[in-house]
Amino acid sequence: MAAFTATLLKPWTPRVLQIRWSRYNPYYLEPEPRKEVYSTPETELTPEQLKERELKSVRPIKAAPPVVHSSVFSDPMISKFINMMMKGGNKILARNIMLQTLENIKRKQVEKYHKAPDAEKAGIECNPYVIFHQALANCKPVIGLVTIQRGSRHYQVPTPLTDNRQRFVAMKWMIAECRENKHRRTLMDEKLAQELLAAFANKGPVVKKKFELHKMAEANRAFAHYRWW
Amino acid sequence: MIMALYRLTGRLCRAVSQTRSLGTAAVEAEPPASGTRAIFRTVQQDPAHHSEQDLGQYYTLPPDHVCSVFPHGLPRHFQLQMKTFNETCVMVREPALELISHLKKADYSKPALRYLLYGVTGTGKTMTLCHALHYCSTQGWVVVHIPDAHLWVKNCKELIPSSYNSSRLDQPILASQWLKNFGITNKHFLSKIKTTKTYMWTKRESTEEGQPLGELLEKGLTRIKSSSDVMGALLRELRLQCSKPQDEGSGAFRLVVAVDGVNALWGRTTLRRENKNKVEPEELTVVQNLRKMLKNDWCGGAIITSLSQSGSLFTPRLAYLPHELLGKEGFDSLDPFIPVPVPGYSEKEFESCYQYYIDRKWLQHSQSHTEEGKKELIFLSNRNPAVFEKLCAAL
Repeated sequence: MAAFTATLLKPWTPRVLQIRWSRYNPYYLEPEPRKEVYSTPETELTPEQLKERELKSVRPIKAAPPVVHSSVFSDPMISKFINMMMKGGNKILARNIMLQTLENIKRKQVEKYHKAPDAEKAGIECNPYVIFHQALANCKPVIGLVTIQRGSRHYQVPTPLTDNRQRFVAMKWMIAECRENKHRRTLMDEKLAQELLAAFANKGPVVKKKFELHKMAEANRAFAHYRWW
Repeated sequence: MIMALYRLTGRLCRAVSQTRSLGTAAVEAEPPASGTRAIFRTVQQDPAHHSEQDLGQYYTLPPDHVCSVFPHGLPRHFQLQMKTFNETCVMVREPALELISHLKKADYSKPALRYLLYGVTGTGKTMTLCHALHYCSTQGWVVVHIPDAHLWVKNCKELIPSSYNSSRLDQPILASQWLKNFGITNKHFLSKIKTTKTYMWTKRESTEEGQPLGELLEKGLTRIKSSSDVMGALLRELRLQCSKPQDEGSGAFRLVVAVDGVNALWGRTTLRRENKNKVEPEELTVVQNLRKMLKNDWCGGAIITSLSQSGSLFTPRLAYLPHELLGKEGFDSLDPFIPVPVPGYSEKEFESCYQYYIDRKWLQHSQSHTEEGKKELIFLSNRNPAVFEKLCAAL
């Protein structure tokens, strides 16, 4: 009984300590990840920038979020893709899968390059980043469908999609395809590499899904007037 | 400044310029043909003639050499690289040159010298060992190569009690695989060396005296149950016959025993008997036979070993010095030995590796070709070969 009351009186500490908060006191300053800002000498700065620098030596600074990079190799699209693949906050695993996927793509292409005769070498793309961006660009739908209610009926109305929405839909389709339609024993990075290479060549299930969406939008062309924005 | 040094050595070596063939193995020194030689490749393809001039440069191994000398010897990541780049290129580095020069100058009538390669994880100890083995194989030595001794003390499914000594355990599948690879590496010696004693495997099977080694090997491959004992017999024969001076007919041959991850032989195992008791390494026949080989009581050859923390059991991750990894018992058994430290890449070697990757289309990221990207790679990898390779894989 005494031991139990002792645990109640103990100062409570949370089990998981947050390192990066999202709610900060207003006097915390933003972190600066760019290297050029630190390498400019004092003579080239405007008076406001000088004042900011002085402030930085006095005020505390917020913790940098994991999205922010100072590396020259960071790519925002790849970071977004990793975040979408992440499950349960396991960014390490998601990032490793992504890096392994890029390695797999590069290996396949470089092997093909070295075995191909000289005439075909120029046509083989070996850069996994170029392949990734092109594959996602090939998967982006130009037009989407929105459900609008008129009376008691619901109509699928074709609408233009914003850039962000297009990118999100392409990535979502890619990840969903790789998660659902693979053999139990294939690993995610192998399947992703296969699908990205297929999408780069405008083949494969994800590009097919995009074309089907375009066809549906074409078929429902008559309802385009129901859109008021 | 480094690039200037490179251009200078390039001009000196351009006396015999060589066409770089894409994808297939480079041919030996040809008459001056069109096409420039890349800065990171060396003209000299024979490991016996490598010198300080070739430091930091890559030489190509012909595919048939690779199949015969290294059926199981090369590390997994290197095999992947071989498959991707469609060629086998090894960098000539200082520890390897030092080892080869010792091998050339040693006195083979004295007991076998023991060399121990040590260094932090990922600095290239296994590749140095492979370079030295390629040299030994081109000189016509008998090669006894154990690619990773750690695989013998962990994850073994089949442990049978030995028929020779009841307290010991055999590993039949492991031993038979090793015998097969030994046969591939030393094909031409199998008919030349003969056994000196009759061996009784079971009540009905035996190998007579004077039979060629090929017979012994076949016995081990067909009767898998006694393959560990066959391995022990084979090693014993090699040891005895190597020490004998030039005999009539059998011919003197030199023996090189190469063991990677030698700290496994004196460490702990994760194997257990059927009654769940732990197994010590001394209770395994293969380990016992190998320990006899590593003693320097025979002459006419060399023993090249290397430590390895990455596959080892129950050792701290940051340990790399011989005393820490071998323990007291191992150190005393291997003492005296010639220690060969293997450091990470120097500036020249790093530059060479970087140029090689760019040439083979491995570094594809547009930023990795810039100075900024290169500085970042040096910073992240600290010039450690394994870490650099891992970083470049994704770029």
